Amino acid sequence: MRTYRLLSIPALLLFSLMSAAETVEVTVNGLVCGFCAQGIEKRLRKFPATRDVLVSLEQRLVAVDLREGATISDAELTEALEGAGYAVKGIRRTDTPIAALREQVKAAGQ
Amino acid sequence: MMPNTPMRHGALLTLLGTLACTASLAKPIAFAGGTTLMGEYGAGTMEEVQGFYAPSHRYSVGGGYLRLDSDVDESVVNITYARANYLVKRWNMAAAQANVFVWGGAGGASGNDFGGNVFTGNAGAQADYETRRIYGSLKSDFYDSTEFTHRIDTLQLGVAPYAHEYDQVAVWLVVQGRTYTGDLYPGTEWAALLRVFKGRIWVEAGVTEDGNLQSMVMVNF
Repeated sequence: MRTYRLLSIPALLLFSLMSAAETVEVTVNGLVCGFCAQGIEKRLRKFPATRDVLVSLEQRLVAVDLREGATISDAELTEALEGAGYAVKGIRRTDTPIAALREQVKAAGQ
Repeated sequence: MMPNTPMRHGALLTLLGTLACTASLAKPIAFAGGTTLMGEYGAGTMEEVQGFYAPSHRYSVGGGYLRLDSDVDESVVNITYARANYLVKRWNMAAAQANVFVWGGAGGASGNDFGGNVFTGNAGAQADYETRRIYGSLKSDFYDSTEFTHRIDTLQLGVAPYAHEYDQVAVWLVVQGRTYTGDLYPGTEWAALLRVFKGRIWVEAGVTEDGNLQSMVMVNF
């Protein structure tokens, strides 16, 4: 019983951290060419807070999966995307896992 | 005009292969810190290789080599140049993008109907518009020296059979019209091209109305 309790503490901590994980969804204009849009992914992956990046031309979406406890400000995201040559139209922060967004993009494309 | 010998085609294929081999290191160009390598075989009338580094998505610097073989007479010009490219204006729309670029540079040229190496100036501009299904661009490239003046104007119109996603192979069917001034080619040279790109590699190839190979490969990294 005591062992169970001891194990449950880190599990709860991990769950708590996972549920705090943040996804930033950015609506971007000008996203029409996969070859040209690679700059977005490269720039965003340079942030230490970035765990994963999703780009969807169809959804005009750039999503950044943030590492637990880390963040990228709206200003930093805007600067990175505009520095890559695109126009930011909106930024929203959600707890939607990037894997779920990836599935949504895939489903929308079928 | 220089004949389109197997040796010249072989040299081109070697060049394209070399560029393709660098693709494993390839990263994008349309942002700060990106490098682009490009090689084009222009149906026996022009061959060009270029390399540019972009400190910003607004401009890039680099250089290139251009060989022009006249279809009208026997003249051949080899131009080596340094160049800066500048994005004058970009329109980012919801489902489209349009751009205006200009460039300028300088270098030297040698040829078979003049002696030595002559200073050559270069200037050009390009306007383009694209969605995920249609594409159009108009480019004008101008070279001037005491021995020759050439302008190469290129129109491309493309249509994609499907709208590609970021991680998919993009396929485009492109019609190209090109005119040369300075007795390089009579009239407009039309070509039908297939363009394919995915990740860091862009390849297009086709044939001109004269039956010559028209091809280009580009790598971003």
